[in-house]
Amino acid sequence: MATQTLPEFISEITGLGSFGVAGEFVAAIVGAGIIGTIMLTYTGIAGPWAKRKITAAFTDRYAANRMGPFGLLTIPADALRLLSKELIIPERVDRPAFDLAPLVVAGSALFAFAVIPMGSLFGINMQIADPEAGLAYAFAVASIATLGLTMAGYASANKFSFMGSLRAIAQNIAYEIPLVLTGASVVIFAGSLQMSEIVAAQTISGGAEPLFSIAGLGIPPWFAFVNPFAFVLFTIANIAEVGRNPFDIPEAPTEIVAGYQTEYSSVYFVLIYLGEFLHIFLGGAIAATLFLGGPAGPVLPGFVWFTIKIWGFFLLTQWARSAVPRVRIDQLIEIGWKGMLVLSFANLLLTAVIVGVIA
Amino acid sequence: MIGILKGMATTMKHALDGEKFTVQYPEETPEVSARFRGVHKFSQERCIWCRQCENVCPNDTIHIVTDDQRQGEEYNLHIGQCIYCRLCEEVCPVDAILLTQNFEFTGDTKDELVYNKEQLKSVPWYKDIDPLESREPDRGAWIGEGDGEVDYQ
Amino acid sequence: MSLEPVRDDTLDADGNVDPQAILDLLGDRVLDIEEHMNADIAVVVRPDTVEETLLALRDEAGFDHCSLVTAQEYEDRYESIYHLKQYDDPTNEVSVVVPATKDDPVSQSGNAAYRTCDWHEREAYDLVGIEYENHPDMRRILMPETWQGHPLSMDYDQDRPQVVTLGQHDNPLKDDIRDEENDTMFINIGPHHPATHGVLHVKTVLDGETVANVESDIGYLHRCEEQVCQNGTYRHQIMPYPDRWDYVSAGLLNEWAYARAAEDLADIEVPEYAQVIRTMGAELCRVAAHMLALGTFALDVYGDFTAIFQYAFRDREVVQNILEELTGQRMMFNYFRLGGVAWDLPEPREDFFELTRDFLDGLPGKLEEYHDLITSNEIFQLRCVDTGILEPEVAKSYGATGPVARASGVDYDLRRDDPYGYYDELDWDVVTEDGKDNYARVLTRMQEVEESAKIIKQCVDLLEEWPEEERTIQSNVPRTLKPENDTETYRAVEAAKGELGIYMRADGTDKPARFKIRSPCFSNLQTLPEMAQGEYIPDLIASLGSLDIVLGEVDR
Repeated sequence: MATQTLPEFISEITGLGSFGVAGEFVAAIVGAGIIGTIMLTYTGIAGPWAKRKITAAFTDRYAANRMGPFGLLTIPADALRLLSKELIIPERVDRPAFDLAPLVVAGSALFAFAVIPMGSLFGINMQIADPEAGLAYAFAVASIATLGLTMAGYASANKFSFMGSLRAIAQNIAYEIPLVLTGASVVIFAGSLQMSEIVAAQTISGGAEPLFSIAGLGIPPWFAFVNPFAFVLFTIANIAEVGRNPFDIPEAPTEIVAGYQTEYSSVYFVLIYLGEFLHIFLGGAIAATLFLGGPAGPVLPGFVWFTIKIWGFFLLTQWARSAVPRVRIDQLIEIGWKGMLVLSFANLLLTAVIVGVIA
Repeated sequence: MIGILKGMATTMKHALDGEKFTVQYPEETPEVSARFRGVHKFSQERCIWCRQCENVCPNDTIHIVTDDQRQGEEYNLHIGQCIYCRLCEEVCPVDAILLTQNFEFTGDTKDELVYNKEQLKSVPWYKDIDPLESREPDRGAWIGEGDGEVDYQ
Repeated sequence: MSLEPVRDDTLDADGNVDPQAILDLLGDRVLDIEEHMNADIAVVVRPDTVEETLLALRDEAGFDHCSLVTAQEYEDRYESIYHLKQYDDPTNEVSVVVPATKDDPVSQSGNAAYRTCDWHEREAYDLVGIEYENHPDMRRILMPETWQGHPLSMDYDQDRPQVVTLGQHDNPLKDDIRDEENDTMFINIGPHHPATHGVLHVKTVLDGETVANVESDIGYLHRCEEQVCQNGTYRHQIMPYPDRWDYVSAGLLNEWAYARAAEDLADIEVPEYAQVIRTMGAELCRVAAHMLALGTFALDVYGDFTAIFQYAFRDREVVQNILEELTGQRMMFNYFRLGGVAWDLPEPREDFFELTRDFLDGLPGKLEEYHDLITSNEIFQLRCVDTGILEPEVAKSYGATGPVARASGVDYDLRRDDPYGYYDELDWDVVTEDGKDNYARVLTRMQEVEESAKIIKQCVDLLEEWPEEERTIQSNVPRTLKPENDTETYRAVEAAKGELGIYMRADGTDKPARFKIRSPCFSNLQTLPEMAQGEYIPDLIASLGSLDIVLGEVDR
């Protein structure tokens, strides 16, 4: 590709490239730091501020409007408040697991962003690495979060936490399979697991044929347009995967208090909270890459389009929250195994047949 | 699916119309009814120390001290304990105690919420609503003596 | 319980109770006859014949509703009173009075006839100290297990310290009991839990995600409301407190319960104009209370960021503004007086009518919105239809009333069946649903809001045209009321949650000697195990939400 990836750019302008592998390693770490900072900034905006504003808009209220312009200073204030709270560790918790769980939850989402093509910003391709098995890596790393939730629930020595984590496992297993299968149908279309290839297959500048043209403007063959059915399936499985309404049963505050995070406080709580929001953004990022042409879009730089798409997904989760009831655990499992799984297999099969016939 | 979408459309409609129902309180003070019952105001000039308010008070919020000539010395009212039933105002034959519309009071300790007669006198009106005026049409109904005995002390 | 009780023998041609027939039915079990103002007949029976008496009255005279069990202590005896009614016609009332001796206050339990006696008798034991034989679970209910003495008994020493060492308490942090055989898990839902609508403690045994057993533990919000009222004068001091039983702005409905009982006891007339205002105010309160029920139920089913809760609160706020104009306060109204109401409508009256009409005109649109958001939502239907089933026979046995009973098809509404206020002059319908499930209970409440709106509208029309010279808001009531010694009455009104009744006994002073509250939530909450056992945890939460309990009224 014409543009440099972030680590390449860093190694070039700092001259790190001349130090060989060690230099590239340092450049990659710096690049990861930049991407991580961007994503944590998004989460920082989303958690204390955007979520409140969006919920307030749906419920005809004002929210977070006391501190600074548009209440934006709520973000540092909230960070300070949460960090200065006492870290309460209950007596009988399973220590290393209890402490590690928040890191695993937050970390797993951050790791996956390494392969997401975030588009170009000032000519730099905001992607840390573009391995050939990029999509498989993203799915694999994202599902480590389940382990974190299990640890959190089990180690908390609290029955509500335990039930929350059991629900999280049941839910993630049930929806991981449709998610990956629907993702696989995209892979069949694109013919590659590499993220950049998947994006290229959806963009006209990447060499793809326009889906059809309206008044001379080519509509790009985003897979969401090519196969809307798969997109809907993927979105539903994705919402279940990140645990938002109507699939927020691992937390289900009115049923099991707060699920796996019941016993967490202070910094640990912040980490779990951040992790959840990171997962929402990650869900949005994967959906955008697979179905919405990744960073593709007219006029604006790719990175801006990418940001718009992941925030759009975030907005969707908040919107669903305002009006969609939570399903029951047995209904969730039933929808997962009897509905989503079958449909995603059918989708995969049909895609394979169609692609096989056309190609 | 249609029901779910209808629900989501409804909330989105609310999000987009920009209407807010909540009030930005300190800047925007709420309109209260002229009958609203807030902190009491006490007038020593009017009071005849008949102690009816003290008797009628359901949870002993009002505490009156008189000397042996039955002249009033102290009139204390625990506004933190008061349940704002307005019975004291209702039984008062001379309008010496009134409930203003003022609902803004604070105190760091319970002791600070015990008002003596000077503090009760200086309670401000809320938005210049004179409770007495708004209550005039109904006064006849409250102070009807009935057929039974009248137990003034 | 047979579906069509044989009742021809005990009712006269007009459908009223024939006291002589009751006496014939009970035969020599009747020791004496007492005078209760509400009841057609009050029979005194021996403590060891309670069960057979109640069964006879239930099966052979059709008294299928045990409203309340009142216990009290006299100088020479203890006494339990079973206030029986008929679901078909609640004006048919019989009181069964059971005296127990002072030194050995034991009485047979009525549990075999009415399941609702379970909690009522536990409360009687807890507060007054009568023990009930054959009771399945004779424990304290409101006070802590370790409480010493019975607070409403005469020899109770309230100055005696109630210090109980930690060791004597059930330690909440004790180690889990694990055994090999059982595969169940015990979990405490509450007293501090997002879904218990207050401080309710639900002891739950789970088998996986399925609820194996539920037991409600109440009493965390016990505020001695009955005793507070026993220490207040009839004329003034009791009226502020009913607002605080069911405190979610159902205040006027509660006040009416006291007003009705006290006006009955002291024989006070209420001017017609005041009755219309009362009716309007009470229905406004019902709308506010049902809005809250709807909002919190949505919270339970949708999750904590649902917009519905906020919309319901917004609409409730409009009602509260109207009530503030009328009564001066948003929730703790203290608006009713014995013999009328405290204020006439606010001046200028046109503004008040306009305010109310605006609300009524907007209501259909808003309800439409709720139907879009709630009842037509497929996931909501999936969650609520056929969950939390309450069979009508079970509901009756537990004394369930209000929307909970009506959603199970029990056609029982005191506003129509035992008319008070201005209801019988107005055109409205009692809402019943046959669904018996959580969904039906939501639907019932939403339709009741519509019916209430109809009533309010008619009242506004009436008030607008009321001739100015006839606007009497209070009848002339003595400043000090002293009902005759030993007059007893039990009177109920249809509150937002169901039958809210007051039992009062006068002893010739200006304060009641016994003041007993029949809380609809108390009886309705008893049905929770019947609804929730065998279902999933989310259904337990939804059922609890659909019961619409207010712990302030359950615990009093």
